[in-house]
Amino acid sequence: MTKRQAELGSAAVFVLPAVAIMGVFIIYPAVATLVLSFLDADGTFVGLRNFITVLTHEDTINVDRFPGRSPPWGSLIHNGLWIIVHLPITLLLGIILANLLHNIIGGPVIKAIIFIGMVVPMIVGGVIIRFLFDASSGIVPHLLRSLGSEGLVTRTWTAYPQTSLAALILGSILLWTGFSLTMHASGLSTIPKELYEAADVDGASVLTKFFRITIPMLAPVTSVVVAMTLLWEIKIFDIVYAATEGGPGGSSMVLSLQMYRYAFRRLDHNLAATVATILSMFTLVVGLWLLKRQRKGEGA
Amino acid sequence: MRKVLFIVAATLIVASTGFAAGAVEETVPTLNVSVPWSGEELDQFRPVVEAFEQRENVRIRYLTYRAEDLASVLPAQFQAGQTLADVIFMWDWWIRENPQHAIDLSEVWNRHEANIVPPAITTGGKVAGVPFTMVAKPGFWYRESFFDEHGLSEPASWDEFTELLQQIGGISGVQNPIATGNGVGWPITDVTEHFLIAYGGPQLQLDLIDGAVDWQSSRVREVFENRIVPLLEAGAFSDPIEWTQAVELWWTGDYGLYFMGNWITGMVDDAGDLGVFPLPEATAIVTGPDTFFIPQYSDQQELARRFADFLLSEEGQRIRAETGGKLIIRNDIPSSVYPEPDQAVAAVVAGMETTVPDLDDTIGGDWQPTFWDQLKLLWVQPDQLGDVLRRLDQAR
Repeated sequence: MTKRQAELGSAAVFVLPAVAIMGVFIIYPAVATLVLSFLDADGTFVGLRNFITVLTHEDTINVDRFPGRSPPWGSLIHNGLWIIVHLPITLLLGIILANLLHNIIGGPVIKAIIFIGMVVPMIVGGVIIRFLFDASSGIVPHLLRSLGSEGLVTRTWTAYPQTSLAALILGSILLWTGFSLTMHASGLSTIPKELYEAADVDGASVLTKFFRITIPMLAPVTSVVVAMTLLWEIKIFDIVYAATEGGPGGSSMVLSLQMYRYAFRRLDHNLAATVATILSMFTLVVGLWLLKRQRKGEGA
Repeated sequence: MRKVLFIVAATLIVASTGFAAGAVEETVPTLNVSVPWSGEELDQFRPVVEAFEQRENVRIRYLTYRAEDLASVLPAQFQAGQTLADVIFMWDWWIRENPQHAIDLSEVWNRHEANIVPPAITTGGKVAGVPFTMVAKPGFWYRESFFDEHGLSEPASWDEFTELLQQIGGISGVQNPIATGNGVGWPITDVTEHFLIAYGGPQLQLDLIDGAVDWQSSRVREVFENRIVPLLEAGAFSDPIEWTQAVELWWTGDYGLYFMGNWITGMVDDAGDLGVFPLPEATAIVTGPDTFFIPQYSDQQELARRFADFLLSEEGQRIRAETGGKLIIRNDIPSSVYPEPDQAVAAVVAGMETTVPDLDDTIGGDWQPTFWDQLKLLWVQPDQLGDVLRRLDQAR
C-alpha cells in the first residue's frame, strides 16, 4: 500500500460515517422530496403540474387582493413581506443596539434581556405574541389606547386580517433582534482599537468612524446575520402556528404552514413536497449567496 | 486508579439497581393510552382507568396528545411499524381514512353494540374505531346567579333571544352579550353549526356533511344573512378571544353568554351555577363521540382489547358518567347517574328530536382548518360573507 492509498483509507474512515448519516437523514429525504414533487398520488410523473398548482393557487399568491385590498395576499407574498420588513429592522436594531450597549455599564445585562427572545422556544414566542397584541390583556393595544389611538390597533391584532401579519412580524422582530444584537456585539469586540485611535488622530467624527470603520469591519458578521435571518424568515412556522394558525382567513399564512396543511391535513404529500422544494430553492439561493461572500472574504 | 475503580463500581451498582427496578416494573404489564385530555378532563377519565387497573392488575400510562399533534406524528410512526401508544383517541375522520393501521374491534363492538347509541367506524366489515364518550354542544351557557341578579330568563323565541342579547348588552361592565372563543377555531364553528341546525334544520347539517348542498346555496346563505351576520354587525359577539381566557372572562361577568360543549362543566369553579339553553327553534343539537382505535403495531393488543371492552362495558360507562364532563354512549344507564350540570345537558339532548354529528369533525381533512379560519374572518368582517362562503365551497 502506497502512502497515498493509506491516507485515502484513513480519510475514508473519518468521512464515511458522516457521509452515511448525511445520506440517510439529509440527502435521501431531500431527493425523495424532490422526486415526490414531480409525481401525483399514484406515483405517475406529472412534470411541473404540482408547481403550477401551488404557485397559481390563491393561497400562495392572491393577485385579486394584492396589493389593493387587505390580506390575505397569499403565503409567498406574506413570506416576502416578512423579509422586507423584518430583515432590515432586526439588522439595524442589532447594529445600533450593539454599538449603543458596547462598553457601557449594564450593557451585558441589557443585551442578555434582549437575547431572552432567542432563548424562548418559538412556539412559546407565538403564544407570547398572541397575548402581546390581545385587546384585553396585551401591552400593545393598551399602550396605543393610552396614547389616544383608536380603531383596529386598539383591538386584538391577531383577530383581524388587516393587523394579524403585522402583529406576527413585529413580534418576530422582538424575538429575533437578540440574535442580530449578539452577533454584532461579538463582531464589535474583534475590531482592533488601533483603527479607532488612528481615526481619532485624523480627526474623524463619530459618524465617520461608524460608517468607515465599524460597518465595513462588521460586514462578515452582517452577512451571516442576513443569511441566517433570511433562512429563518423563509421557513418561519412555529410562531405563526401558535399565534394565528395562518388566519384569520389566511391573512397570515406562510409557506411552511401551507406545506404542513398539505401534508398533515389534506394528506397530499406531493403538494407538500412541492412547497418543500420551493422553500429549498429559496434557501439554496441564500446559502449560495453566503458561500460566495465567504469565499470572496477569504480571497481578499 | 482507585478513584476510577470506585467510579466504575458505583456506576455498575447504580445501573444494576436501575435494571432490577425496571425488571420489577416489567412484571406488571403496562398499557400506553394516548388521550387528548389533561387537567380536570383527565381527572374525570382516571376513575375508569383505575378500575381497570385494579381489575386486571395492570398499569396504564397516559400520554396526552392533541389530535392535531397526532396527525403529524402517527403517519411516520405507522410507516415504520411503530406506535406511540396501544390505545389512541383520535379524530373520527382520520381513523376512517386510515383504517389499515387499526386492528379489527368487531368482537368487542358486537358484545356491546345493542346498547350503544353512536355508531362505530366501520370500513369493509372491519370495526376500525369505537366511541367511548360523547360531547354535546347543547347551546348557550350562562351563570344562573348572573341571570338572577339581572332579572334575565331563558328565551323562548328568536325575538326573545335578540331581546335577551340587548338586555345583557345594556348591563354595566358587560363588553358584549356573547363571548367568542378562539384558539384553534372550533368554538366559532360550534356556534355557527348551532345556528345552521336551528334555522336551516338538522337535514342541512347532514347535507353539508355529505356535500349535497353548497355553502353558497340559499339554504345556507339565509341562515348567515338573517341570523348570524345581523348579530355580528350589532356587536352581539365579542372579537375572538383565546377560548380558555374567554371562559374566564365570561365567568367573571365580562360577557353574559358563552357557547361551548358540555366539557365546560369541568372548567368552571362552580358547575352548580351553570345554566344552558339552545336556540329556541333548535330541534337538534350536535353530539360527537370521543373515538379510539388500537394500532396494529401495538405489542399489547390483547390487553388493549380488554381495555376497550371495559371502556364500552356497563361498569366502565357508569363510572365515567359519575365523574361528569362527558355524556356516555350507552342507553341502558339512567341519566340520574350524572352529576347535576351534566343531567341538564342530558335533558337538553333528550328534549331534541334528534342529534347530528359535528360538521367539521366529520368532514375533517384540510377543509376543517379552512372552516375554522374563514369563520374567524367572518366574525371580525361580516361583510366578507360572500368570500367566506366561496372559500368554503372551494375548499370542499
